[in-house]
Amino acid sequence: MRDDAKPSPIDFHLQQLARDRRVVRLLVIAAALVLAVVLSALPLWLWASPAPAAVKVETSSAQPREVEDSTAQAVRRDYAQAWAAMSHALDQNNGSMLDANFAGTAREKLGRALKAQAANGLHRRIVDHGHSVRVTFYSLDGSAMQVEDTAQQETEYFDGGTLLKSEQGTVRYLAVLTPAENSWKVRILETVPNF
Amino acid sequence: MKRKVTFIYVVVLLFAAAASAQVKQVRAGEATTVDLGGSGSATVYLFGPATAAKRKVQLPKVELSADDLSAAGVYTLIANGKATKLVVTAGPVSELAFLARPSRVPTAANGAINGSAFLFDKNQNLVRTPETVQFQLQEPSGKEETRTSTSKNGVAWARMNSGKKSGAAQFVARAGESSVRRVVQQVAADPCNIHMHAALAQPDARDVSNSTRLVVETDPIRDCSGNAVPDGTIVTFTSVGKHGRSTVDARIKQGIARAELPSEPGERLSVAAGVVVGNEIVWGGGQ
Repeated sequence: MRDDAKPSPIDFHLQQLARDRRVVRLLVIAAALVLAVVLSALPLWLWASPAPAAVKVETSSAQPREVEDSTAQAVRRDYAQAWAAMSHALDQNNGSMLDANFAGTAREKLGRALKAQAANGLHRRIVDHGHSVRVTFYSLDGSAMQVEDTAQQETEYFDGGTLLKSEQGTVRYLAVLTPAENSWKVRILETVPNF
Repeated sequence: MKRKVTFIYVVVLLFAAAASAQVKQVRAGEATTVDLGGSGSATVYLFGPATAAKRKVQLPKVELSADDLSAAGVYTLIANGKATKLVVTAGPVSELAFLARPSRVPTAANGAINGSAFLFDKNQNLVRTPETVQFQLQEPSGKEETRTSTSKNGVAWARMNSGKKSGAAQFVARAGESSVRRVVQQVAADPCNIHMHAALAQPDARDVSNSTRLVVETDPIRDCSGNAVPDGTIVTFTSVGKHGRSTVDARIKQGIARAELPSEPGERLSVAAGVVVGNEIVWGGGQ
């Protein structure tokens, strides 16, 4: 019977070659898939916001209303996200990154700075080493909060790809935050020489 | 003597160092000239809270326009790899952002109205210098209540009592030449006393059940300051008799609440609105 016939060495080699080709084809497809996944994730990795810097919130000086623990936690989370977004926006000259965390005057002034940076080919990079936030005012109706923020930061100023200057140290900010639908947004943000 | 001279020399040196390290301060929206030192032409970079610029200048001086410095904050000027700081502070108060809460408040409530004022200059910078802010609440009757507060970091706040008369109260915040007005609607507080009376209902020809019913009606319902409690406020009439309990929720209409309840000798009628309980009537057994 033909089925029982022993394959010749040539047949055996041909079969092995076919099997090898199938394996190679599978390997190529697998490699292509891995490459596709890596490439599709690359922009996310490249443009992803840096991890928010540590924010410590101190509420014992808040007036005229005490800050509830849940509010303090929300402010810590949202203020940290706002800084991560702002650092990234100033580095990339991309105003849309500010929309989720900034409103009013702060959003408008930062928007102007970003436009001016883009027009002049400039950008700045803030390497954030953490914020110590003290709530000084929390309105009775809970609609506004003012904080004094002492931040440890490194700021790098660039003209195109050329680093112009790098500074490191303590920077003080005065911020006003207001609650939005489900988060606190920064409405006023000013650098101040002292509190 | 030699020690004394050395001490004076050190003190003078320290003062000179402090003076040279002092950061220049200017007012927002005002042009200025900054001495960056050096000489010859150079590219100067300006980074600020709302600006960024790159200019060719002739050192040592660089001129900055009012537009360059409209936002308060710390600016960084970079020339030849050297950074110079410039502090821009807010100008005089030009605008107020006034948050007044709530928009509706019961009359004669202590500390029920609160206002927060944020002080800005003409460039929307927070005015951090302490300013006197006056909060004034003018009742519908014309009576005024005023509180004065000193702003801190551009914020001032006050807590006011609502007036005794219902109607639109004017809540005004003033700082410098600026003032902002908000309207707070004062509405009657909880009823002060509820007094009801009961009478047999007129027989209705369409009623085939042949049962007798009671009409219970309140006197005009007012709060403790004499303001009519708003129409639509729910008043609950309850009748408890041998056959159980009947409850009717009626809305105040033209200052009076009215309902019909089943009539039964010896039944106990009561009336309430919110947390306020009115008089009780025992039907057929005197009040």
